[in-house]
Amino acid sequence: MTAIRRWQIALITLGLGLLIVATVTALQEVPPDRWIGIAGWLIGALIIHDGIAAMAMFGVSVALRRSPIPFAVVVIIQAALAVGTIVTVLVLPAIIKQAIGTANPSILPLDYLANLGLFWLVLLAITGGSIGAMLLVSRRRVVRAAVEQKQ
Amino acid sequence: MLLKWRMQRIFHQFRHALIEPSRNPRTAVVLGRLLALVFLVCFGTGLYSHFLQDPLAWMVFPVRPLWLYQVTQGIHITAGIACFPLIVAKLYAVFPELFQTPAVRSFTHLLERASIALFVAASLVQLSIGLLNTYQFYSLFPFSFRSTHYVLSFVVVGSLAIHIGVKLTTIAQYWRKSNSLDESGALIVLKPEDDADFDIPDDLRRLTGRPQSTGITGRVFEWIDREPAPPEPDRRISTSRRGFFAAVGVAVTAVVGLTAGQSFRVLDATNIFAPRKNGIGSQGLPVNRTARAAEVIDLASAPDWMLRVTNGTTAQQFSYDQLRALPQCEAVLPIACVEGWSQYAHWRGVRLRDLMDIVGAPDSADVLIQSLQTNSRYGTTSMQSEFVRDELTLVALELDGDTLDLDHGYPARIIAPARPGVLQTKWLSSIEVIA
Repeated sequence: MTAIRRWQIALITLGLGLLIVATVTALQEVPPDRWIGIAGWLIGALIIHDGIAAMAMFGVSVALRRSPIPFAVVVIIQAALAVGTIVTVLVLPAIIKQAIGTANPSILPLDYLANLGLFWLVLLAITGGSIGAMLLVSRRRVVRAAVEQKQ
Repeated sequence: MLLKWRMQRIFHQFRHALIEPSRNPRTAVVLGRLLALVFLVCFGTGLYSHFLQDPLAWMVFPVRPLWLYQVTQGIHITAGIACFPLIVAKLYAVFPELFQTPAVRSFTHLLERASIALFVAASLVQLSIGLLNTYQFYSLFPFSFRSTHYVLSFVVVGSLAIHIGVKLTTIAQYWRKSNSLDESGALIVLKPEDDADFDIPDDLRRLTGRPQSTGITGRVFEWIDREPAPPEPDRRISTSRRGFFAAVGVAVTAVVGLTAGQSFRVLDATNIFAPRKNGIGSQGLPVNRTARAAEVIDLASAPDWMLRVTNGTTAQQFSYDQLRALPQCEAVLPIACVEGWSQYAHWRGVRLRDLMDIVGAPDSADVLIQSLQTNSRYGTTSMQSEFVRDELTLVALELDGDTLDLDHGYPARIIAPARPGVLQTKWLSSIEVIA
Protein backbone atom coordinates (compact mmCIF):
# COMPACT_ATOMS: atom_id res chain seq x y z
CA MET A 1 0.00 0.00 0.00
CA THR A 2 1.41 3.40 -0.98
CA ALA A 3 1.73 6.34 1.40
CA ILE A 4 -0.93 8.24 -0.56
CA ARG A 5 -3.31 5.31 -0.28
CA ARG A 6 -2.77 5.19 3.50
CA TRP A 7 -3.42 8.93 3.80
CA GLN A 8 -6.54 8.57 1.69
CA ILE A 9 -7.92 5.88 3.96
CA ALA A 10 -7.07 7.93 7.07
CA LEU A 11 -8.68 11.12 5.70
CA ILE A 12 -11.84 9.41 4.48
CA THR A 13 -12.17 7.55 7.80
CA LEU A 14 -11.71 10.82 9.69
CA GLY A 15 -14.26 12.51 7.46
CA LEU A 16 -16.83 9.77 7.95
CA GLY A 17 -16.20 9.91 11.69
CA LEU A 18 -16.86 13.65 11.77
CA LEU A 19 -20.04 13.18 9.72
CA ILE A 20 -21.20 10.64 12.31
CA VAL A 21 -20.46 13.21 15.06
CA ALA A 22 -22.49 15.74 13.06
CA THR A 23 -25.40 13.32 12.72
CA VAL A 24 -25.43 12.40 16.41
CA THR A 25 -25.15 16.08 17.41
CA ALA A 26 -27.97 16.99 15.04
CA LEU A 27 -30.18 14.28 16.52
CA GLN A 28 -29.43 15.56 20.04
CA GLU A 29 -29.49 19.32 19.50
CA VAL A 30 -31.70 20.07 16.49
CA PRO A 31 -35.43 19.40 16.87
CA PRO A 32 -36.81 17.31 13.95
CA ASP A 33 -39.17 20.11 12.90
CA ARG A 34 -36.09 22.22 12.06
CA TRP A 35 -34.48 19.65 9.76
CA ILE A 36 -36.63 20.60 6.77
CA GLY A 37 -35.56 24.23 7.13
CA ILE A 38 -31.88 23.25 7.22
CA ALA A 39 -32.29 20.90 4.23
CA GLY A 40 -34.03 23.72 2.36
CA TRP A 41 -31.08 26.02 2.98
CA LEU A 42 -28.58 23.35 1.85
CA ILE A 43 -30.47 22.63 -1.38
CA GLY A 44 -31.10 26.35 -1.92
CA ALA A 45 -27.37 27.07 -1.58
CA LEU A 46 -26.57 24.56 -4.35
CA ILE A 47 -29.28 25.95 -6.63
CA ILE A 48 -28.26 29.57 -6.04
CA HIS A 49 -24.59 28.82 -6.60
CA ASP A 50 -24.60 26.24 -9.40
CA GLY A 51 -27.80 27.28 -11.11
CA ILE A 52 -27.70 31.05 -10.85
CA ALA A 53 -24.41 32.59 -9.66
CA ALA A 54 -22.04 30.33 -11.60
CA MET A 55 -24.19 30.57 -14.75
CA ALA A 56 -24.32 34.35 -14.47
CA MET A 57 -20.54 34.45 -14.10
CA PHE A 58 -20.24 32.17 -17.14
CA GLY A 59 -22.51 34.48 -19.15
CA VAL A 60 -20.54 37.58 -18.19
CA SER A 61 -17.19 35.97 -19.04
CA VAL A 62 -18.51 34.74 -22.41
CA ALA A 63 -19.91 38.18 -23.22
CA LEU A 64 -16.63 39.84 -22.30
CA ARG A 65 -14.61 37.27 -24.24
CA ARG A 66 -16.69 37.88 -27.37
CA SER A 67 -16.37 41.65 -27.06
CA PRO A 68 -13.73 43.54 -29.07
CA ILE A 69 -11.98 44.63 -25.84
CA PRO A 70 -8.27 43.71 -25.54
CA PHE A 71 -7.62 40.52 -23.56
CA ALA A 72 -5.75 42.15 -20.65
CA VAL A 73 -8.52 44.76 -20.27
CA VAL A 74 -11.09 41.96 -20.11
CA VAL A 75 -9.07 40.34 -17.32
CA ILE A 76 -9.04 43.61 -15.34
CA ILE A 77 -12.77 44.19 -15.86
CA GLN A 78 -13.57 40.59 -14.84
CA ALA A 79 -11.44 40.96 -11.70
CA ALA A 80 -13.10 44.26 -10.76
CA LEU A 81 -16.58 42.84 -11.35
CA ALA A 82 -15.77 39.80 -9.20
CA VAL A 83 -14.41 41.92 -6.34
CA GLY A 84 -17.33 44.36 -6.52
CA THR A 85 -19.93 41.58 -6.66
CA ILE A 86 -18.48 39.71 -3.67
CA VAL A 87 -18.36 42.85 -1.52
CA THR A 88 -21.90 43.78 -2.60
CA VAL A 89 -23.25 40.32 -1.77
CA LEU A 90 -21.72 40.59 1.71
CA VAL A 91 -23.04 44.09 2.39
CA LEU A 92 -26.50 43.82 0.82
CA PRO A 93 -28.06 41.83 3.72
CA ALA A 94 -26.72 44.48 6.12
CA ILE A 95 -28.46 47.20 4.11
CA ILE A 96 -31.71 45.21 4.04
CA LYS A 97 -31.59 44.37 7.76
CA GLN A 98 -30.82 47.99 8.61
CA ALA A 99 -33.86 49.09 6.58
CA ILE A 100 -36.07 46.52 8.35
CA GLY A 101 -34.78 47.64 11.74
CA THR A 102 -32.30 46.40 14.33
CA ALA A 103 -32.66 45.52 18.01
CA ASN A 104 -30.67 48.57 19.08
CA PRO A 105 -28.83 51.48 17.42
CA SER A 106 -25.35 50.01 17.98
CA ILE A 107 -26.16 47.12 15.62
CA LEU A 108 -25.48 48.05 11.97
CA PRO A 109 -24.84 51.69 12.89
CA LEU A 110 -23.11 52.82 9.67
CA ASP A 111 -24.47 54.16 6.37
CA TYR A 112 -23.80 50.95 4.48
CA LEU A 113 -25.51 52.05 1.26
CA ALA A 114 -23.39 55.19 1.02
CA ASN A 115 -20.26 53.24 1.96
CA LEU A 116 -21.02 50.66 -0.74
CA GLY A 117 -21.46 53.45 -3.29
CA LEU A 118 -18.13 54.91 -2.18
CA PHE A 119 -16.51 51.48 -2.47
CA TRP A 120 -17.77 51.08 -6.06
CA LEU A 121 -16.50 54.56 -6.94
CA VAL A 122 -13.03 53.72 -5.61
CA LEU A 123 -13.14 50.35 -7.38
CA LEU A 124 -14.12 52.04 -10.66
CA ALA A 125 -11.32 54.57 -10.25
CA ILE A 126 -8.73 51.85 -9.55
CA THR A 127 -10.04 49.76 -12.45
CA GLY A 128 -9.93 52.74 -14.82
CA GLY A 129 -6.43 53.62 -13.61
CA SER A 130 -5.23 50.04 -14.07
CA ILE A 131 -6.67 49.85 -17.59
CA GLY A 132 -5.12 53.21 -18.49
CA ALA A 133 -1.72 52.19 -17.12
CA MET A 134 -1.90 48.85 -18.89
CA LEU A 135 -2.84 50.42 -22.25
CA LEU A 136 -0.03 52.99 -21.85
CA VAL A 137 2.53 50.27 -21.19
CA SER A 138 1.26 48.24 -24.18
CA ARG A 139 1.43 51.29 -26.48
CA ARG A 140 4.99 52.09 -25.37
CA ARG A 141 5.95 48.49 -25.96
CA VAL A 142 4.51 48.63 -29.50
CA VAL A 143 6.25 51.95 -30.22
CA ARG A 144 9.57 50.64 -28.88
CA ALA A 145 9.23 47.49 -30.97
CA ALA A 146 8.53 49.61 -34.08
CA VAL A 147 11.56 51.83 -33.41
CA GLU A 148 13.81 48.81 -32.90
CA GLN A 149 12.50 47.32 -36.14
CA LYS A 150 13.35 50.53 -38.08
CA GLN A 151 16.89 50.58 -36.63
CA MET B 1 -31.45 6.96 -25.37
CA LEU B 2 -31.07 10.01 -27.60
CA LEU B 3 -31.74 12.18 -24.52
CA LYS B 4 -28.73 10.61 -22.81
CA TRP B 5 -26.45 11.42 -25.78
CA ARG B 6 -27.92 14.92 -26.03
CA MET B 7 -27.12 15.52 -22.36
CA GLN B 8 -23.64 14.14 -22.94
CA ARG B 9 -23.18 16.60 -25.80
CA ILE B 10 -24.47 19.59 -23.85
CA PHE B 11 -22.24 18.70 -20.91
CA HIS B 12 -19.25 18.45 -23.26
CA GLN B 13 -20.12 21.80 -24.81
CA PHE B 14 -20.41 23.39 -21.37
CA ARG B 15 -17.08 21.99 -20.29
CA HIS B 16 -15.46 23.19 -23.50
CA ALA B 17 -16.96 26.67 -23.19
CA LEU B 18 -15.86 26.87 -19.54
CA ILE B 19 -12.19 26.28 -20.37
CA GLU B 20 -10.21 29.21 -18.96
CA PRO B 21 -6.50 29.47 -18.23
CA SER B 22 -7.30 30.09 -14.56
CA ARG B 23 -9.46 26.97 -14.35
CA ASN B 24 -6.94 24.19 -13.82
CA PRO B 25 -5.92 21.69 -11.14
CA ARG B 26 -3.00 23.83 -9.91
CA THR B 27 -5.35 26.78 -9.26
CA ALA B 28 -7.79 24.47 -7.50
CA VAL B 29 -5.02 23.08 -5.27
CA VAL B 30 -3.58 26.51 -4.39
CA LEU B 31 -7.03 27.84 -3.48
CA GLY B 32 -8.08 24.58 -1.87
CA ARG B 33 -5.23 24.51 0.61
CA LEU B 34 -5.83 28.16 1.55
CA LEU B 35 -9.51 27.48 2.02
CA ALA B 36 -8.85 24.32 4.02
CA LEU B 37 -6.50 26.23 6.30
CA VAL B 38 -9.04 29.00 6.88
CA PHE B 39 -11.84 26.47 7.46
CA LEU B 40 -9.69 24.69 10.06
CA VAL B 41 -8.93 28.00 11.78
CA CYS B 42 -12.67 28.74 11.88
CA PHE B 43 -13.38 25.22 13.17
CA GLY B 44 -10.77 25.44 15.94
CA THR B 45 -11.74 28.92 17.11
CA GLY B 46 -15.43 28.01 16.84
CA LEU B 47 -15.00 24.93 19.02
CA TYR B 48 -13.09 27.03 21.56
CA SER B 49 -15.96 29.50 21.73
CA HIS B 50 -18.52 26.68 21.91
CA PHE B 51 -16.82 24.91 24.81
CA LEU B 52 -16.28 28.16 26.69
CA GLN B 53 -20.06 28.47 26.65
CA ASP B 54 -20.84 24.78 27.17
CA PRO B 55 -17.78 23.34 28.91
CA LEU B 56 -17.33 19.64 29.55
CA ALA B 57 -16.77 18.80 33.21
CA TRP B 58 -13.01 18.26 32.90
CA MET B 59 -12.30 21.41 30.90
CA VAL B 60 -10.11 24.20 32.27
CA PHE B 61 -9.64 27.41 30.27
CA PRO B 62 -6.75 29.89 30.20
CA VAL B 63 -7.52 33.31 31.69
CA ARG B 64 -4.52 35.03 30.13
CA PRO B 65 -3.77 36.77 27.90
CA LEU B 66 -6.70 39.09 28.63
CA TRP B 67 -7.38 39.44 24.91
CA LEU B 68 -7.41 35.70 24.22
CA TYR B 69 -11.11 35.38 23.39
CA GLN B 70 -11.16 38.75 21.65
CA VAL B 71 -8.48 37.46 19.28
CA THR B 72 -9.81 33.91 18.79
CA GLN B 73 -13.34 35.09 18.07
CA GLY B 74 -12.13 38.06 16.01
CA ILE B 75 -10.13 35.62 13.90
CA HIS B 76 -13.14 33.27 13.70
CA ILE B 77 -15.40 35.94 12.23
CA THR B 78 -12.74 37.63 10.09
CA ALA B 79 -11.56 34.30 8.68
CA GLY B 80 -15.17 33.38 7.97
CA ILE B 81 -15.60 36.60 5.99
CA ALA B 82 -12.33 35.92 4.12
CA CYS B 83 -13.76 32.53 3.14
CA PHE B 84 -16.36 34.17 0.88
CA PRO B 85 -13.98 35.24 -1.92
CA LEU B 86 -11.88 32.11 -1.41
CA ILE B 87 -14.80 29.70 -1.78
CA VAL B 88 -16.21 31.63 -4.74
CA ALA B 89 -12.79 31.42 -6.43
CA LYS B 90 -12.44 27.72 -5.63
CA LEU B 91 -15.88 26.94 -6.99
CA TYR B 92 -15.10 29.02 -10.07
CA ALA B 93 -11.93 26.99 -10.64
CA VAL B 94 -13.70 23.62 -10.45
CA PHE B 95 -17.07 24.62 -11.97
CA PRO B 96 -16.62 22.51 -15.18
CA GLU B 97 -16.50 19.39 -12.96
CA LEU B 98 -20.23 19.88 -12.45
CA PHE B 99 -20.75 18.76 -16.07
CA GLN B 100 -18.85 15.47 -15.93
CA THR B 101 -20.09 12.78 -18.29
CA PRO B 102 -21.25 10.24 -17.47
CA ALA B 103 -22.60 11.98 -14.39
CA VAL B 104 -22.07 8.87 -12.29
CA ARG B 105 -19.54 6.23 -13.33
CA SER B 106 -19.65 3.93 -10.31
CA PHE B 107 -20.84 3.68 -6.72
CA THR B 108 -17.51 5.14 -5.52
CA HIS B 109 -17.90 8.00 -7.98
CA LEU B 110 -21.44 8.59 -6.72
CA LEU B 111 -20.14 8.80 -3.14
CA GLU B 112 -17.38 11.17 -4.27
CA ARG B 113 -19.83 13.50 -6.00
CA ALA B 114 -22.29 13.31 -3.10
CA SER B 115 -19.53 14.22 -0.63
CA ILE B 116 -18.57 17.22 -2.78
CA ALA B 117 -22.21 18.34 -3.06
CA LEU B 118 -22.54 18.06 0.71
CA PHE B 119 -19.28 19.96 1.23
CA VAL B 120 -20.25 22.78 -1.14
CA ALA B 121 -23.78 23.12 0.24
CA ALA B 122 -22.73 22.91 3.90
CA SER B 123 -19.86 25.39 3.38
CA LEU B 124 -22.06 27.94 1.63
CA VAL B 125 -24.78 27.66 4.27
CA GLN B 126 -22.27 27.73 7.12
CA LEU B 127 -20.64 30.93 5.85
CA SER B 128 -23.96 32.58 4.97
CA ILE B 129 -25.66 31.97 8.31
CA GLY B 130 -22.47 33.00 10.12
CA LEU B 131 -22.50 36.33 8.32
CA LEU B 132 -26.24 36.85 8.77
CA ASN B 133 -25.88 36.08 12.48
CA THR B 134 -23.48 39.01 12.85
CA TYR B 135 -26.24 41.18 11.31
CA GLN B 136 -28.73 39.54 13.73
CA PHE B 137 -30.87 38.74 10.68
CA TYR B 138 -32.53 35.84 12.50
CA SER B 139 -35.84 36.13 10.66
CA LEU B 140 -34.19 34.35 7.70
CA PHE B 141 -33.43 31.22 9.76
CA PRO B 142 -36.11 28.55 10.08
CA PHE B 143 -33.79 26.94 12.67
CA SER B 144 -31.63 27.77 15.67
CA PHE B 145 -28.45 29.46 14.49
CA ARG B 146 -26.28 28.22 17.33
CA SER B 147 -27.01 24.48 17.08
CA THR B 148 -27.12 24.50 13.27
CA HIS B 149 -23.79 26.33 13.02
CA TYR B 150 -22.27 23.84 15.46
CA VAL B 151 -23.58 20.76 13.61
CA LEU B 152 -22.59 22.13 10.19
CA SER B 153 -19.03 22.77 11.39
CA PHE B 154 -18.57 19.00 11.69
CA VAL B 155 -20.27 18.43 8.33
CA VAL B 156 -17.97 20.95 6.64
CA VAL B 157 -14.74 19.64 8.14
CA GLY B 158 -15.81 15.99 7.73
CA SER B 159 -16.75 16.36 4.07
CA LEU B 160 -13.58 18.44 3.56
CA ALA B 161 -11.48 15.55 4.89
CA ILE B 162 -13.29 13.12 2.55
CA HIS B 163 -12.83 15.51 -0.38
CA ILE B 164 -9.09 15.86 0.31
CA GLY B 165 -8.81 12.09 0.63
CA VAL B 166 -10.57 11.49 -2.69
CA LYS B 167 -8.50 14.11 -4.52
CA LEU B 168 -5.19 13.38 -2.79
CA THR B 169 -3.42 12.11 -5.92
CA THR B 170 -4.25 15.31 -7.82
CA ILE B 171 -3.41 17.44 -4.78
CA ALA B 172 0.00 15.76 -4.42
CA GLN B 173 0.74 16.25 -8.13
CA TYR B 174 -0.11 19.95 -8.19
CA TRP B 175 1.02 20.88 -4.65
CA ARG B 176 4.35 22.35 -5.79
CA LYS B 177 4.71 24.87 -8.57
CA SER B 178 7.74 23.03 -9.92
CA ASN B 179 5.62 19.90 -10.45
CA SER B 180 2.72 21.86 -11.94
CA LEU B 181 4.30 24.09 -14.57
CA ASP B 182 6.98 23.33 -17.12
CA GLU B 183 9.95 25.60 -17.95
CA SER B 184 7.84 27.72 -20.30
CA GLY B 185 5.22 28.23 -17.58
CA ALA B 186 2.69 25.92 -19.27
CA LEU B 187 0.61 23.63 -17.07
CA ILE B 188 1.81 20.04 -16.97
CA VAL B 189 -1.23 17.97 -17.91
CA LEU B 190 -1.19 14.33 -16.86
CA LYS B 191 -4.32 13.35 -18.75
CA PRO B 192 -5.27 15.05 -22.03
CA GLU B 193 -8.43 17.16 -21.67
CA ASP B 194 -11.31 15.34 -23.42
CA ASP B 195 -13.17 18.59 -23.89
CA ALA B 196 -10.32 20.68 -25.30
CA ASP B 197 -11.76 20.55 -28.84
CA PHE B 198 -15.27 21.75 -29.62
CA ASP B 199 -16.19 19.54 -32.54
CA ILE B 200 -15.33 16.12 -31.18
CA PRO B 201 -17.16 13.23 -32.84
CA ASP B 202 -19.40 12.09 -29.98
CA ASP B 203 -22.03 9.35 -29.64
CA LEU B 204 -24.82 11.59 -30.90
CA ARG B 205 -22.88 12.15 -34.11
CA ARG B 206 -22.20 8.43 -34.43
CA LEU B 207 -25.91 7.66 -34.05
CA THR B 208 -27.50 10.53 -35.97
CA GLY B 209 -24.71 12.14 -38.00
CA ARG B 210 -25.45 15.55 -36.39
CA PRO B 211 -22.31 17.67 -35.82
CA GLN B 212 -21.78 19.72 -32.65
CA SER B 213 -23.06 22.94 -34.21
CA THR B 214 -26.65 21.75 -34.84
CA GLY B 215 -29.68 22.73 -32.81
CA ILE B 216 -30.14 25.85 -30.70
CA THR B 217 -27.62 24.95 -28.01
CA GLY B 218 -25.13 23.78 -30.65
CA ARG B 219 -25.32 27.14 -32.43
CA VAL B 220 -24.98 29.06 -29.16
CA PHE B 221 -21.91 27.09 -28.12
CA GLU B 222 -20.43 27.38 -31.62
CA TRP B 223 -20.89 31.17 -31.36
CA ILE B 224 -19.10 31.10 -28.02
CA ASP B 225 -16.32 28.96 -29.50
CA ARG B 226 -15.53 31.52 -32.20
CA GLU B 227 -13.47 33.25 -29.47
CA PRO B 228 -12.03 30.24 -27.60
CA ALA B 229 -9.82 30.41 -24.52
CA PRO B 230 -6.15 30.85 -25.55
CA PRO B 231 -4.36 27.51 -25.87
CA GLU B 232 -0.89 26.86 -24.35
CA PRO B 233 1.63 28.35 -24.98
CA ASP B 234 0.23 31.89 -25.04
CA ARG B 235 1.28 35.05 -23.15
CA ARG B 236 -2.39 35.73 -22.40
CA ILE B 237 -2.52 32.63 -20.21
CA SER B 238 -0.14 34.00 -17.59
CA THR B 239 -2.02 37.35 -17.76
CA SER B 240 -5.28 35.52 -17.09
CA ARG B 241 -3.85 33.47 -14.21
CA ARG B 242 -2.19 36.49 -12.58
CA GLY B 243 -5.39 38.48 -13.00
CA PHE B 244 -7.38 35.71 -11.34
CA PHE B 245 -5.11 35.46 -8.31
CA ALA B 246 -4.86 39.25 -8.09
CA ALA B 247 -8.68 39.44 -8.01
CA VAL B 248 -8.81 36.84 -5.22
CA GLY B 249 -6.14 38.74 -3.26
CA VAL B 250 -7.87 42.09 -3.71
CA ALA B 251 -11.26 40.61 -2.76
CA VAL B 252 -9.89 39.00 0.42
CA THR B 253 -8.05 42.21 1.32
CA ALA B 254 -11.20 44.26 0.71
CA VAL B 255 -13.62 42.14 2.73
CA VAL B 256 -11.15 41.73 5.60
CA GLY B 257 -9.78 45.27 5.56
CA LEU B 258 -13.22 46.87 5.46
CA THR B 259 -14.75 44.78 8.27
CA ALA B 260 -12.01 43.55 10.64
CA GLY B 261 -11.91 46.89 12.46
CA GLN B 262 -14.84 45.68 14.59
CA SER B 263 -12.49 43.07 16.07
CA PHE B 264 -9.06 44.65 15.73
CA ARG B 265 -8.72 48.31 16.71
CA VAL B 266 -5.80 48.87 14.36
CA LEU B 267 -8.22 48.53 11.40
CA ASP B 268 -10.96 50.70 12.92
CA ALA B 269 -10.35 53.54 10.45
CA THR B 270 -11.18 51.30 7.48
CA ASN B 271 -14.20 49.65 9.12
CA ILE B 272 -17.00 50.76 6.80
CA PHE B 273 -18.92 47.49 6.39
CA ALA B 274 -18.79 45.64 9.73
CA PRO B 275 -22.02 45.36 11.72
CA ARG B 276 -20.37 47.05 14.72
CA LYS B 277 -18.19 50.10 15.11
CA ASN B 278 -15.93 50.87 18.03
CA GLY B 279 -17.24 53.77 20.11
CA ILE B 280 -20.89 53.51 18.97
CA GLY B 281 -23.36 52.51 21.68
CA SER B 282 -24.37 53.48 25.22
CA GLN B 283 -21.33 54.94 27.04
CA GLY B 284 -19.40 54.58 23.79
CA LEU B 285 -19.58 50.78 23.87
CA PRO B 286 -21.70 48.59 21.55
CA VAL B 287 -24.63 46.73 23.11
CA ASN B 288 -25.89 43.30 22.17
CA ARG B 289 -29.03 43.12 24.29
CA THR B 290 -30.67 46.16 25.78
CA ALA B 291 -32.44 46.36 29.13
CA ARG B 292 -35.70 46.87 27.24
CA ALA B 293 -35.19 43.71 25.14
CA ALA B 294 -34.28 41.79 28.29
CA GLU B 295 -37.41 43.19 30.02
CA VAL B 296 -35.48 44.16 33.14
CA ILE B 297 -35.89 47.95 33.27
CA ASP B 298 -38.18 47.97 36.32
CA LEU B 299 -36.32 45.25 38.24
CA ALA B 300 -32.88 46.69 37.50
CA SER B 301 -33.94 50.23 38.42
CA ALA B 302 -35.69 49.24 41.64
CA PRO B 303 -34.16 50.99 44.69
CA ASP B 304 -34.47 47.79 46.75
CA TRP B 305 -32.36 45.73 44.32
CA MET B 306 -30.11 43.27 46.12
CA LEU B 307 -27.41 40.88 44.95
CA ARG B 308 -27.72 37.51 46.69
CA VAL B 309 -24.51 35.48 47.12
CA THR B 310 -24.85 31.94 48.47
CA ASN B 311 -22.62 29.04 49.40
CA GLY B 312 -24.82 26.18 50.57
CA THR B 313 -26.61 27.44 53.67
CA THR B 314 -24.44 30.54 53.91
CA ALA B 315 -26.11 33.45 52.17
CA GLN B 316 -25.39 37.14 52.03
CA GLN B 317 -27.32 39.92 50.36
CA PHE B 318 -25.72 43.12 49.14
CA SER B 319 -27.48 46.34 48.24
CA TYR B 320 -25.94 48.58 45.61
CA ASP B 321 -24.51 50.89 48.31
CA GLN B 322 -23.09 47.95 50.25
CA LEU B 323 -21.30 46.73 47.12
CA ARG B 324 -19.87 50.18 46.58
CA ALA B 325 -18.66 50.22 50.19
CA LEU B 326 -16.60 47.07 49.63
CA PRO B 327 -12.97 47.38 48.37
CA GLN B 328 -13.14 48.40 44.71
CA CYS B 329 -10.84 47.15 41.99
CA GLU B 330 -10.19 48.48 38.49
CA ALA B 331 -9.55 46.51 35.32
CA VAL B 332 -9.15 47.33 31.64
CA LEU B 333 -10.81 44.42 29.86
CA PRO B 334 -12.41 43.87 26.47
CA ILE B 335 -16.02 43.01 25.89
CA ALA B 336 -15.61 40.39 23.18
CA CYS B 337 -18.83 39.24 21.55
CA VAL B 338 -19.42 35.86 19.91
CA GLU B 339 -20.41 37.91 16.85
CA GLY B 340 -16.79 39.01 16.54
CA TRP B 341 -16.83 42.64 17.66
CA SER B 342 -14.84 43.66 20.68
CA GLN B 343 -13.88 46.79 22.54
CA TYR B 344 -11.76 47.56 25.57
CA ALA B 345 -13.27 49.45 28.49
CA HIS B 346 -12.28 50.58 31.95
CA TRP B 347 -14.28 48.68 34.58
CA ARG B 348 -14.55 49.26 38.33
CA GLY B 349 -16.23 47.12 40.93
CA VAL B 350 -15.86 44.39 43.53
CA ARG B 351 -13.65 41.37 42.91
CA LEU B 352 -15.80 38.28 42.60
CA ARG B 353 -13.32 36.33 44.70
CA ASP B 354 -13.82 38.81 47.58
CA LEU B 355 -17.54 38.05 47.53
CA MET B 356 -16.70 34.34 47.47
CA ASP B 357 -14.49 34.77 50.52
CA ILE B 358 -17.28 36.55 52.38
CA VAL B 359 -19.54 33.47 51.99
CA GLY B 360 -16.64 31.07 52.65
CA ALA B 361 -16.49 29.48 49.22
CA PRO B 362 -13.48 27.23 48.57
CA ASP B 363 -10.88 28.21 45.93
CA SER B 364 -12.08 25.42 43.66
CA ALA B 365 -15.68 26.64 43.62
CA ASP B 366 -17.57 27.07 40.37
CA VAL B 367 -20.53 29.43 40.46
CA LEU B 368 -23.93 29.81 38.88
CA ILE B 369 -24.70 33.39 37.93
CA GLN B 370 -28.30 34.49 37.63
CA SER B 371 -29.42 37.59 35.78
CA LEU B 372 -32.66 39.50 36.28
CA GLN B 373 -33.52 38.61 32.67
CA THR B 374 -35.54 35.46 32.25
CA ASN B 375 -36.26 35.54 28.52
CA SER B 376 -32.82 34.41 27.35
CA ARG B 377 -30.78 31.23 27.54
CA TYR B 378 -27.98 33.41 28.90
CA GLY B 379 -30.08 34.53 31.87
CA THR B 380 -28.25 31.87 33.85
CA THR B 381 -24.57 31.13 33.22
CA SER B 382 -21.94 29.10 34.98
CA MET B 383 -18.38 30.21 35.67
CA GLN B 384 -15.46 27.89 36.31
CA SER B 385 -13.20 28.41 39.29
CA GLU B 386 -10.24 29.67 37.21
CA PHE B 387 -12.36 32.69 36.24
CA VAL B 388 -14.04 33.03 39.66
CA ARG B 389 -10.70 33.30 41.45
CA ASP B 390 -9.04 35.56 38.89
CA GLU B 391 -8.00 38.92 40.33
CA LEU B 392 -9.54 40.75 37.36
CA THR B 393 -12.97 39.11 37.47
CA LEU B 394 -15.28 41.79 38.79
CA VAL B 395 -18.83 42.42 39.77
CA ALA B 396 -18.60 45.67 37.86
CA LEU B 397 -20.48 48.78 38.99
CA GLU B 398 -18.79 51.38 36.80
CA LEU B 399 -17.81 51.67 33.15
CA ASP B 400 -15.24 54.22 32.02
CA GLY B 401 -15.63 56.25 35.22
CA ASP B 402 -19.45 56.41 35.22
CA THR B 403 -22.19 54.31 36.75
CA LEU B 404 -23.09 51.43 34.45
CA ASP B 405 -25.77 52.30 31.94
CA LEU B 406 -28.90 50.16 32.15
CA ASP B 407 -28.02 48.67 28.76
CA HIS B 408 -24.60 47.66 30.08
CA GLY B 409 -26.02 45.83 33.06
CA TYR B 410 -26.84 48.37 35.81
CA PRO B 411 -26.83 47.90 38.73
CA ALA B 412 -24.10 45.24 38.52
CA ARG B 413 -22.64 42.92 35.92
CA ILE B 414 -19.89 40.39 35.54
CA ILE B 415 -16.72 41.22 33.66
CA ALA B 416 -13.95 38.64 33.42
CA PRO B 417 -10.88 38.20 31.23
CA ALA B 418 -10.86 35.94 28.15
CA ARG B 419 -14.60 35.15 28.22
CA PRO B 420 -17.32 35.60 25.56
CA GLY B 421 -19.53 38.65 25.98
CA VAL B 422 -22.66 36.51 26.37
CA LEU B 423 -21.15 35.09 29.57
CA GLN B 424 -20.40 38.54 31.03
CA THR B 425 -23.80 38.43 32.71
CA LYS B 426 -25.63 41.73 33.02
CA TRP B 427 -28.30 42.84 35.58
CA LEU B 428 -27.03 40.48 38.27
CA SER B 429 -29.55 38.86 40.55
CA SER B 430 -27.64 36.13 42.36
CA ILE B 431 -24.35 34.26 42.48
CA GLU B 432 -24.44 30.73 43.83
CA VAL B 433 -21.57 28.36 44.59
CA ILE B 434 -22.33 25.07 42.83
CA ALA B 435 -19.19 22.93 43.24
